[in-house]
Amino acid sequence: MNTLTDRYLAATLRSVPAQRRDEIATELRASIEDMIEDRAGGGEDAAAAEREVLTELGNPDRLAARYADRRLQLIGPTYYLVWLRLLKLLLSFIPALAGTVVTVVAVVDGRGFGAIGPGLVVALHVAVHISFWLTLTFVLIERSQPTVELPDWSVDELPDVPAHRDVSLVDTIASVAMLVLTIGYLPLQHYQSWVRASDGDNIPVLDPALWSFWLPALIVILLAIAVFEIVKYRIGRWSWPLFAVKALLNLAFTLVLAGLALSDALLNPALGERLSWLADADNRGLVNALIALGAAVVLVWDLIDTALKTRRRTT
Amino acid sequence: MVSEDVLRTHLQELRRGTVVVASLVALRRPDYGYALLQRLTDHGFPVDANTLYPLLRRLEDQGLLTSEWNTEESRPRKFYRTSDEGESMLNRLLDDLAAVQTSITGLIQGVDR
Repeated sequence: MNTLTDRYLAATLRSVPAQRRDEIATELRASIEDMIEDRAGGGEDAAAAEREVLTELGNPDRLAARYADRRLQLIGPTYYLVWLRLLKLLLSFIPALAGTVVTVVAVVDGRGFGAIGPGLVVALHVAVHISFWLTLTFVLIERSQPTVELPDWSVDELPDVPAHRDVSLVDTIASVAMLVLTIGYLPLQHYQSWVRASDGDNIPVLDPALWSFWLPALIVILLAIAVFEIVKYRIGRWSWPLFAVKALLNLAFTLVLAGLALSDALLNPALGERLSWLADADNRGLVNALIALGAAVVLVWDLIDTALKTRRRTT
Repeated sequence: MVSEDVLRTHLQELRRGTVVVASLVALRRPDYGYALLQRLTDHGFPVDANTLYPLLRRLEDQGLLTSEWNTEESRPRKFYRTSDEGESMLNRLLDDLAAVQTSITGLIQGVDR
């Protein structure tokens, strides 16, 4: 027997709990036959009536889900908002963090510009993994019996009204872009400084010996500043703790840069071979002093500016 | 003019719970799936077969209906009947339905409760 009704019953019963399958089969078959008989009794062709009845009953998977009281959604309204919030939270920093770590490791490894590729790939992989496993977890929770108790929403969870932002998105993007370019310049100058030795080899501007510690340290500080910029944007307004963190980060960067310059450890000694003016110790001292002074001026200017903004916000 | 779709959705929402009430009332007299479907339709409760059949199962699982197989006729049929438990729940539901009707009437006439 392979009538439409048989096929419909088989398709429906496939996903109905086994212990009730036979009973549902007998009952559903009788119901279908009743319905067909009723229509055929009205003078309708039996085959056409069968088609019509089965069409009316609809997709067998849907009918089976109704019998089994099964969810026809991946994640229902009970858990959807929690899922979405967790997903956003995890995706907002973990992929970027993993990608950054991989990039820094590759830079320290001396991969130069090639370091960005693996970082991006790792960030993407991590994002896909987070999305998949989190969603899978919630799909299982959605289907778990008994239902999982979620903490009730409370008014304390309400975020502050973003009434007035001290920090605009454009400023944040510009700052982060500048930082990324600066970070990118550090490995770039090692391979492509546009200063060439007499044999045509590239002469890095910065002392290659610094790659053993100080340049990676600078990159880490710059990355920390970039993360700070993003956090600052999320918070949206200045506060004294925020000011303290910014001051600390900027101070660290300036101290490293100025310290290296003043101890004449920043510029590549090999530059003197090409730019004879730099070979002179006094001239080198002047350049180093200017670098240190410039860094100090920028630091002080920035701190005063930020302090003023913070005071305006907090008083 | 309200669109047909919006109207249909609201009517569906309004009707959804009444199928259970109607079934429990109708099954004070035992009946099998398709016959019940016809009776409900005749009494102005049009209900889809793919909704009613699983619903009967669920009400039986909840103890609101009892069932019995009848194998004397041409094909075996499962007869459902409202249980004592179903009857007491039905009374609660009917009270509530009446309360809804009273409230609506009061609201329409502008009378405070």
